[in-house]
Amino acid sequence: MIRRYPNELRGHLWPGILFLGALIVATASSNLFLQDAVIVILLWAAIASAWNISGGFAGQLSLGHAAFFGLGAYTSTLMNVHLGLSPWVGMLCGAVLAAVVGVFIGLASTRLRGPYFAMATIAFAAALQVVAGRWYSLTGGNEGIPIPFKVGFENFMFSSKFSWNIIALVYVIAVYSIAVWIEHSRFGFQLAGMRENESAAEALGIHTRWLKIAAISLSAFMTALGGTFYVQYAGFLDPGYVLSFSLSIKFALMCIIGGMATPFGPILGALLVTVLEMYLRAHLGGGSSGLYLIVYGVLLILVVRLMPEGLIIGVPKLWQRMRASPVA
Amino acid sequence: MTELLPQLIASSILLGGIYGLMSMGLTLIFGVMRIVNFAHGEFLMLAMYLAVGLAACGIDPYMGLLIAIPVSLIFGFAVYKCVVSPILDQPHVVQIFTTLGLSIVLQNAALLMWGANFRQLQLPYGDRVILVFGAAITLPQVIAFAAAGMFAAMLFLAIRFTYLGKAIRATAEDRKAATLMGIDTNRICLLTFCVGTACVAVSGVLMAPLYATYPTIGANLALTAFVVVVLGGMGSIGGALLGGMIVGVLDVAGGYAVGTSWKEVLYFIVFITVLLIRPTGLFGIRGAEEFDEAR
Repeated sequence: MIRRYPNELRGHLWPGILFLGALIVATASSNLFLQDAVIVILLWAAIASAWNISGGFAGQLSLGHAAFFGLGAYTSTLMNVHLGLSPWVGMLCGAVLAAVVGVFIGLASTRLRGPYFAMATIAFAAALQVVAGRWYSLTGGNEGIPIPFKVGFENFMFSSKFSWNIIALVYVIAVYSIAVWIEHSRFGFQLAGMRENESAAEALGIHTRWLKIAAISLSAFMTALGGTFYVQYAGFLDPGYVLSFSLSIKFALMCIIGGMATPFGPILGALLVTVLEMYLRAHLGGGSSGLYLIVYGVLLILVVRLMPEGLIIGVPKLWQRMRASPVA
Repeated sequence: MTELLPQLIASSILLGGIYGLMSMGLTLIFGVMRIVNFAHGEFLMLAMYLAVGLAACGIDPYMGLLIAIPVSLIFGFAVYKCVVSPILDQPHVVQIFTTLGLSIVLQNAALLMWGANFRQLQLPYGDRVILVFGAAITLPQVIAFAAAGMFAAMLFLAIRFTYLGKAIRATAEDRKAATLMGIDTNRICLLTFCVGTACVAVSGVLMAPLYATYPTIGANLALTAFVVVVLGGMGSIGGALLGGMIVGVLDVAGGYAVGTSWKEVLYFIVFITVLLIRPTGLFGIRGAEEFDEAR
């Protein structure tokens, strides 16, 4: 049945179904929990996809993407609270700021590989978290900042879940489209070359330095947009969360579980991880707050070990192998 | 300032020694296996909980080292067999996220078992103060520093002068070549991992009387350990000690100059600067930060 569609569209079947499903929930459902779940999944899916541009396509394993997320969140909130500017303006400024910071991180990445880059990004996000928590006069310190609740499109504040849902959907489709474009563009092919063998790529005349900077910067830009969305939706800016190491891990984890360097992988990963988290929290939750994170950690170890390409490639492969040689 | 100087110097040196020991396991494991153990801090945290638990049973934590070392060797063995050995020749993504997964599991297991409350190990002689040249230092600090120095010296001598130490150095230099020379590199890796874990356990036990114990203490201290190791040079034991001293000085002097709340920013800045200017650190294995492209 799938074969009737033109070849280019076939790859978008599953993401299309998911986006359509989200739209249907947004318009038809009156279940607030379900609507909230969909918004959160779309948000994390978009950010995991944004991480994928740097971590997956460019192979620069950042463990500090919360820094970009936090930059987006803080820029829009501070401009809103101190200057009275619309969060939409702040969102754009935050994203540009994150992209500029991304250029510097990208410059650093040309000297640091693998775990060194990961450590540097951890330290960068940790430093930002300390600054945000201590620079009381500007950021309000560790207590965080409540977002003024003034409903209206220009204030990026809505009373209905429907509007949040549509914005999240636009956001995730935008990041997904970028990922699809990267996969089929010259830029993407060059990134793939660099990821597989940097020296060989350089020998072929690819400017790996600029590629890395471009990828990290673009990834930072898209991540920062999500930061603004998150604080506006949550209604509160908490430096202990938006700049935390665990958030950075979460972005990377969703992408890795789903499948790196594929457009749909991070979206699938975000869906699975978020649903799993909600389920485990509901069933194991309450007093034993750490339990679902243990499952998380074990899952991460297992996926990385058994299906390093992520579920999106690993599961079909496994399926094919099982069909080819039925066990007993 | 002048009357504070002896105090500042004494505090930096003592703190530096402990930071050095804490980072030694990390640097040893990296040097031999080229794996950055992101679960390092959690090993430390578990050792601190062990010391707290032993103290609750009435065992002096310093005597408890006799228990902590064998326990950590067994723990290191188990972790190596189950988690580390399969990822030895895997790409960075796998190595980073496997150890990261391990750290998430251990941290939350501790949270589940012991809760998020701070526990402070109280020693009967814990608040005894010694005055040296006008600097007041507590007994646990002195013991921790002396023991750190002793263990570091033992490790250094063992690696420098024994046959096994030679094999470890050869494996660190080039695993493939070492294998070709008839060294069982798998066993060397296992041994190094266990010894590294034991180092962490020793420093954890020594630190338990000095710091409050809680599930995320490891994650906080691990960042310091990364700073120390990168500063001193990944894979260098002497470098870890020197890096520890530098971070100790930064910590104390920075705390004095810019206030305790901002000193962390100071050493993150130093960390990133060192990474950028000289990723091999002061005494690192040259080229180690480049890694093999072929892997």
